[in-house]
Amino acid sequence: MTSIPEFGYAFWNPIVLIIVFIVVMIVVYFFRRRGQEKYKKDTDQTQIFLCGEEVPEAEQRHIRVGNIYWGFFETLKEYYKQVLRPHTGIINDYVLWFVAVTAIIAIILLIAGIAK
Amino acid sequence: MAALITHSPILIIAIPLFAAFLTLPIGMASKKARNALVIVSLAFVAFLVFALARDISINGIHVYTLGATSPDLTIPTGVMVPVRIILEVDGMSILMAIIWSIVALAAAIFSLSHIASETGQNRFYTLLLLMVTGGFGMMFTGDLFNLFVFLEITSISGAALIAFRTRSADTQEGGFKYIVVSAIASLMVLFAIGLLYGQYNLLNIGALAQVIQYTTSDMIALALLIIAFTIKAGMVPLHLWLPDAYSVAPASITGMLLITSHTCMYAAFRVCFTLYGGMLDTPVVGWIIIAFGLLSMFVGVTMALRQKDVMRFMSYHAISQLGYMWVGIGVGLAVLGNAELVGIGGYGRDAMSGGIFHILNDAMYMPLLFFIGGALFQCTGTRDLTKMGGLAHKLKWTTMLFIIGTLCISGIPPLNGFSSKILIYESVYQFHPILAITGIIVSILILASFAKAFHSAFMGAELPGYKAVKEVPRSMIIAMVILAAGIVFITLFPSLIVDWTIHPAADALIDPEGAYITAVTGAIP
Repeated sequence: MTSIPEFGYAFWNPIVLIIVFIVVMIVVYFFRRRGQEKYKKDTDQTQIFLCGEEVPEAEQRHIRVGNIYWGFFETLKEYYKQVLRPHTGIINDYVLWFVAVTAIIAIILLIAGIAK
Repeated sequence: MAALITHSPILIIAIPLFAAFLTLPIGMASKKARNALVIVSLAFVAFLVFALARDISINGIHVYTLGATSPDLTIPTGVMVPVRIILEVDGMSILMAIIWSIVALAAAIFSLSHIASETGQNRFYTLLLLMVTGGFGMMFTGDLFNLFVFLEITSISGAALIAFRTRSADTQEGGFKYIVVSAIASLMVLFAIGLLYGQYNLLNIGALAQVIQYTTSDMIALALLIIAFTIKAGMVPLHLWLPDAYSVAPASITGMLLITSHTCMYAAFRVCFTLYGGMLDTPVVGWIIIAFGLLSMFVGVTMALRQKDVMRFMSYHAISQLGYMWVGIGVGLAVLGNAELVGIGGYGRDAMSGGIFHILNDAMYMPLLFFIGGALFQCTGTRDLTKMGGLAHKLKWTTMLFIIGTLCISGIPPLNGFSSKILIYESVYQFHPILAITGIIVSILILASFAKAFHSAFMGAELPGYKAVKEVPRSMIIAMVILAAGIVFITLFPSLIVDWTIHPAADALIDPEGAYITAVTGAIP
């Protein structure tokens, strides 16, 4: 069976997972079919209900990329401060990094080579 | 057909090279003829690559000597060493060529509509084909100097293509940064080649591997070669230029630039495994590769999480994905000295197979995601995710393809990203559990970041500013579907892919019998 990976660690079969996925989709479709079909289009029945409050315009109620995972970034504020430091956008700084890392790797290899 | 296979290594390099120069005069006469030339030449090259791959799977390493009376005459009569230009294609290089041929063809098809409104299209396709030539050359060359030459061809054409849209300043800045970084990396490669040539009077990788002593100069040359290719691959902390360059190039070119990163990674591994091979202090170099991989995985994904520019977001994810490959192959390198661990069933070989399998998978879904980034830019006129929203109402194909790409890159079963990641996790865990744990955490962060991007760009109500947006042209969808079809095929038949291409590629790098060396120099004395 070419579809069953034999990596020697554990069994898994993509075909089985695809069958499971199809079964889940059928179940989802079944529940969707059970929904209310008889409603009046272009009336308040199809409008968003917000506990009687006025619903904002589409542009205002869309959650933008900058508003997601705020807590994550707040928690990792110090990490990001350090990681962003080398991202200056200046090519001279990039080249300094290249020189520094080359020197470090060369020293490691020389020390390891001499020790060997 | 036999003659075609025999000469296929040079044909695969020469056809796009000649097509590149033909593109300009033909393009001046007819745009359609030029487009046909580009697509047909790349499709024929892809056919040759697959034919050569089949031949290699049956007959082993394919050697081609330029200028010899017979292509397999690697050492001329009366000379002790290989002096001619030799192309050498083994399991690893042909896998890279398969990837390159598919992505280049998809990128060319994508470009037909993606750059249709730009000026200078003849030059664009000339540069694209030159980049293809350089990529194949890097994969097939058997000697170090031609590796440098093809690296230069790829870099110069890549820089020009990044700066192709001359109307905005950021493209010029991106192109400038790319050419400076490439020039530094190329000079480091050239200096390393000089150090080796000065000692051994040889440029052929196989011949050099036979005589290399691992002297102090060799160690410095190794450091220069590893760092040069690490810079070009875009590994953390040498990645700083990559998002600046990749995010401003036309999306089709960004997809191809990613494969040039893979190619530089291939060159680094060719140097470590084949050129230095048995002489190398493998645990130390292996851990250096692993360290680059771990840093790239984690820093790449955490930087991607905070991006608002869709192409920078994809670029940081590209860096993160490269990390998985380096960790997998780094573990294989670290245990290379232990024949049991890199033999059949050993976790070293499986880790390498996982890393190499991830190269193939990444080459399918990452260009797809870059293409989708380009499609979003084309439809909305912005790369800013904060300005997008509700695009799933209009871009049904793009949305579906984005979901496929997202599930793949996040390693959600049963898609192909999962099959390579699970192979990496399970094998590198045996080397050191922290590697697998980091990989899993990074995968979770990848899914979280793509959920954020998906919600921001595609979900929500239809925004008034995008009411007139239409689905991208057919050629762009075809290009994306080609890559998605590759994903589906690998998803359905992972074992076939691993047995036919991945394990042979890993074995070609491990190469315990020195087949790559003896194919050029004859039996090892």
